[in-house]
Amino acid sequence: MIKVALSAAALVLAMPVAAQDAVPDLSGFWGPDFVTDTSIRMPDLLAKLPADAVLIEDAGAAEFPRGEFGGLVLTPDAAAHAETWNAEQDMAIDRVCLPPSIVYGVQGPFPFEVHQTPTLIVFKYEYFDQVRLIHMDGRAVPENVPLSKVGYSVGHWEGEDLVIETSRIAASTITNNGLDHTDGIVMVERYRKSEDGTRLHATQWFRDRAVLETDGARYLTWTARPGQYVYPYECDPSFALEYAQVDGE
Amino acid sequence: MRVRAIGLALTVAALAAPFAAAAHHSFAVFFDETRQIRIEGTVASFRFTNPHATIVLNVRGEDGRAQEWRVETNAPVVLQRRGWTRDSLKAGDRVVIDGWPSRDGRNYMRLRSATGADGRAIGAAPFSTNDD
Repeated sequence: MIKVALSAAALVLAMPVAAQDAVPDLSGFWGPDFVTDTSIRMPDLLAKLPADAVLIEDAGAAEFPRGEFGGLVLTPDAAAHAETWNAEQDMAIDRVCLPPSIVYGVQGPFPFEVHQTPTLIVFKYEYFDQVRLIHMDGRAVPENVPLSKVGYSVGHWEGEDLVIETSRIAASTITNNGLDHTDGIVMVERYRKSEDGTRLHATQWFRDRAVLETDGARYLTWTARPGQYVYPYECDPSFALEYAQVDGE
Repeated sequence: MRVRAIGLALTVAALAAPFAAAAHHSFAVFFDETRQIRIEGTVASFRFTNPHATIVLNVRGEDGRAQEWRVETNAPVVLQRRGWTRDSLKAGDRVVIDGWPSRDGRNYMRLRSATGADGRAIGAAPFSTNDD
C-alpha cells in the first residue's frame, strides 16, 4: 500500500516536469538573421496563416518607403493619415524615445531573450527594453487591462508551435512610414524552433479594421546565439537635439 | 568639398537590408539607399547613446570653407556587437566616413563604415553585412 501511494505521489510530482518536457524549449538568446532567402521558410507554418492575409516583406531591417505598404489595403482615413504623415515629428525630443508597439517592434533588427516556464513565458527585447509576459496558464484577458505598447498576451502550445494572442496594444505604427494602428488591433504569432534548434521561425498576423481593409502578416526568423544576452537600450532623447542642429538647406 | 558619390548602381535591397529598421525612425524615409557618399574630417564630438550614436565632424569643403556634418549610426547596442565603444572616437580624431546621404540634402548621413587616420577600420565590420 505504501509503495502504491509513493508511486502515485511520484507520478504526480513528475507530471509538471513531464508536461514541461513535452513542449519545445524556446529559451535563449535569439538574434535577427536578416535572411532574405524565402526558401528557408517553413511551408506548413506559412500555411497556418489565414489565406487572405497579406504577407508584407518588411521584416528584419528592410522598411517600406513613404507610400508603400507591401500590399496592405488601407482604409480611406488611414490612407489620408499616411499621406499627411510628417516623418520629422519622429525626430522631436518628445517622440524620439517613444517606443513603438510590439506590432512593429517584433520585426525589428534587434535580438531578444526567451525565458520559459510552464505557466509564463517572458520575451525580453533589446529594442527599447520592452518586456512581454506570455501567460500560458489558460487565463482569459482580464477586463480593464490597461493599454500598453506590448499589449496583453496569452499563449498556448499547438504541437511544436507556441501560439500567442495579443490585444490591448496601444496605438502605434505598423510599418514606420505613416501607417498607424489603433488600440483595437489584435495580433496572433506562431513560433517554432527549427529541428536543429539553431533558428526560430515565426509568423505574425494582425487585424485592425479601423485602418486596414486587409489583414496583415509577416514571416520572421532569428538565430540562436548561445552565451549572448540583451544589452540595455536606455533610450536617450538628446539624440533629437543633435538632429535639430543639422546644417544645410 | 570632400563629399562624393561612390556608387549608384548598388541595389536597394543590398544596401538597405541591414539598416533600415534599426531605428525608431525609418531609414528608408530619411536616407537615400541608392547613393553612397564619403566625407573626411575631424571629429568634434561623439555621442554614444541609443537610439543612435552621433558623430559631429568638421569637414573642409572643396571651396575651402568649413562645414559641419552629423553622422547618425546604428544603435550603440548594435555598434557594441561590432566592436565599437564610446571611446572609439574622440574629439580631434581624423576620420573618413562612408555612408548614405540624407534625402533632404542637408549635412546629415547614415554611417556605413568609419576609417581612422591610420587607415584601420573602426569596428569589426561595416554596416552592410547581413548582421545586426
